[in-house]
Amino acid sequence: MTAPLLSLRNLIISAGGRRLVDGVSLDLEAGRTLAIIGESGSGKSLTALSLLGLLPDGLEVDPATRITVDGRVLAPRDERGWRALRGRRIAIVFQDPMACLNPFMRVGEQIEETLQRAGIAAPAERRQRIVTGLAEVELPNPAALATRYPHQLSGGQQQRVMIAMALAGEPDLLIADEPTSALDASVQADIVALLARLQAKRRLALLIITHDLAVAGVLGHSIAVMQHGRVVETGPAAEVISRPRDPYTARLVGARRRLADVPAAQTMARPVAVTAEAVCVDYSARRLFGTSFRAVHGASLSLLAGRTLGLLGESGSGKSTLAAALAGMRPLADGRIRLLGHALEPRGKPLPDALRRRCQMVFQNPYGALNPRLTIGRALAEPLALARVPASAQAARIVAGLNEVGLDADHAMRYPHQLSGGQRQRACIARALLCEPEVLICDEVISALDMTVKVQILDLLKRLQAERGFAMLFVGHDIEAVRWISDEVLVMHQGRIVERCRPEQLELSAVRDPYTRRLLSARLMPKFDGAIVEKPGGQPRLQVSTAADCLPAW
Amino acid sequence: MTNLLHRLAPLAFTLARMLVQAAGIVVIVFLLARLVPGDAVDVKGLEGDLTAAQQVELRHQLGLDRPVVEQLAGWSWRLLNGDFGASIRFGRPVSAMLATALPTTLLFTALSFTFALLLALGVAVSAVTTGHRGLRGLVDVLNVWSIALPTFCVGVVGILVFSIWLGWLPVLGSMVLPVIIIGIDSAGLIVKPLHEELREAATSAHVRTARAKGLAPSRIALRHLLPTAVPVMLALSGLVLTSLVAGTLTMEVLFGLPGVGSLLLNAIHGRDYPVIQAAILVIAIALVIINAATDLLHRLIDPRMTS
Repeated sequence: MTAPLLSLRNLIISAGGRRLVDGVSLDLEAGRTLAIIGESGSGKSLTALSLLGLLPDGLEVDPATRITVDGRVLAPRDERGWRALRGRRIAIVFQDPMACLNPFMRVGEQIEETLQRAGIAAPAERRQRIVTGLAEVELPNPAALATRYPHQLSGGQQQRVMIAMALAGEPDLLIADEPTSALDASVQADIVALLARLQAKRRLALLIITHDLAVAGVLGHSIAVMQHGRVVETGPAAEVISRPRDPYTARLVGARRRLADVPAAQTMARPVAVTAEAVCVDYSARRLFGTSFRAVHGASLSLLAGRTLGLLGESGSGKSTLAAALAGMRPLADGRIRLLGHALEPRGKPLPDALRRRCQMVFQNPYGALNPRLTIGRALAEPLALARVPASAQAARIVAGLNEVGLDADHAMRYPHQLSGGQRQRACIARALLCEPEVLICDEVISALDMTVKVQILDLLKRLQAERGFAMLFVGHDIEAVRWISDEVLVMHQGRIVERCRPEQLELSAVRDPYTRRLLSARLMPKFDGAIVEKPGGQPRLQVSTAADCLPAW
Repeated sequence: MTNLLHRLAPLAFTLARMLVQAAGIVVIVFLLARLVPGDAVDVKGLEGDLTAAQQVELRHQLGLDRPVVEQLAGWSWRLLNGDFGASIRFGRPVSAMLATALPTTLLFTALSFTFALLLALGVAVSAVTTGHRGLRGLVDVLNVWSIALPTFCVGVVGILVFSIWLGWLPVLGSMVLPVIIIGIDSAGLIVKPLHEELREAATSAHVRTARAKGLAPSRIALRHLLPTAVPVMLALSGLVLTSLVAGTLTMEVLFGLPGVGSLLLNAIHGRDYPVIQAAILVIAIALVIINAATDLLHRLIDPRMTS
């Protein structure tokens, strides 16, 4: 066996005495893909940055750490030594391509910098290589695209440009740090497939950092699972996913598996809580004589008490705008909403306060939704004070509310920053429920959470709904989650509802709308039965499986 | 063609709005000048023993006994015909007075602003890219200097040291010392926010990408770091420039430079309405031009502004 391209031994990174990465050892070999999977704070991104000598200032790297590239040992802070490797031997693709590309330079110029760096002196050859590089990442009309600025491209195109730029210097090792996490679902699968093709074609050593089991399973020859700064399990991809040995890995795989079970929908008749008829919502023009932007076109729906309506869509589809309009928080341009018996119309009366209390919202970012200067207890006391609950009775109600969402009485004394993301979202749900709502609108409530926490929050919402009987609108972009929790699913695209179906019908074989079909076929799913296909490199790798051939397996 | 029109429309809109603002400034100053007790004739009377009858006669001649609105209308009409009027106190045409004061102010502004910008940019960029502690200290020294040391104090000490003790410069009429003093003062205003902005940009994702590409530090600073600070730099430059055009009065008085600032101050003392109005008009128009220019530059440099 040949010596690894890059070997990392005992990486220890600490900040202020706290170990963020605690003894990670990895080997990267030419032509092989290693996927590091872990949840936020597991130290996976710091590990990736240390492989380029790009660790932020203020972090200490333990002297016991050894990073060897091509048999040469490099000190973690040896800026000169690392700079010689960056772009030439090792390249990286980051998470958020919009922020990672220089907004002031045309994308062609940015790729040209890498080419110059790689020692290609002739301008004509550089121009040629820019075009072939952009064509290699399957961008249409590469010559014209090279003259565009990053903000003129879509997220998927930007990430392709990042990949082309990383590959322009013909590196041996490509690191991709959450390359698809900032992208829409239908784009994610394309980027993953592209990375797989490029890796095989160029015989790259590829290091994928991801939180998504499916991405790791599809791309990785082998998988390393990280938790709390340590690697808890490594092994061939198929084996880690189908037969996890470590309890944490088992939890991670189990969480993903659970969502695939679609519970049977109920069909009992229920009273109607909210109806919308041909609702249109506009964003008004920002300057004089500008035209307003219509975010929602003629959306009609009805939400029944005790039931969950799922609203599925990608960013910019208008789903959050529609949710806000249903809660009476956005004026309508056209159409009509009946919310708990009150009619909301264009230029009509706003929702009375008493009714507003009965329709509550929970938002995506629980940290932003909680006042950082109020303890959880004080934040929860606010809706009670509005409902004129006497101060003496508030404490007991708050504790009861916290217990209901799985938090303790002593969480009431803490500030939002002292809680984890999942606990913060629980506190937000508790606050919403203290108003005794009849309608609960959940706007992307699990998007910012880790996989294992997502499932817990979904469970919690389902249990609370069964106990309390509120109507729920669940807005999300995650097909599995929306399908799992909903009794009916609406799919939104470009401001219109394009598909409405029962959750178990949300399958390629059952839906007709072309956009929904595209969304479903782009879905990445790990195969838990461990089916393995041979890859050109002779290395076993999981197949890129789509929903259709994947679901019946379990 | 329509595309170009589309791109220029917001700029034309801004320009029109600014011109309205400038007109507003001029009208308000016109009215304020007449609110102040005593007029040019009173001042002349105190200095030159005019009899009450002569004063009434003079006021009538100058039109000062007419309603304010009528005076404003008359002044505006003459202005539109290119007539700034004549100074009440000196009898000279106002346009001639401006013609002697403006070049001094403009040259002084151009020199001290260029010096300030080069100093601030040099210090801020080198402090961020090298991370040198001494340079970071210099950012704070410049900033504290401009806040704590009034320019007239530095000016007096400067004259004492360089003109009287060392004898290197003449006491009056030389621009060297005032340009340096005002330059440092303005640089101190710009350098601190600029440094903060650059430091933030240095940790931004696209600069990290540039580092990951293995680019040389100088190239990262020039192509990736500096453009990020352009909006802040333009905004600060606009502020500094407008204050310089309005006249750095203390420097003009101290170093005997006959600029717009001292012209305006003398006119206010003498209630010399035509001169006050003309000087304010010039300053207001300069303000409009500077704001429009910073806006245009921002649009040219940041591609995100145009599409």
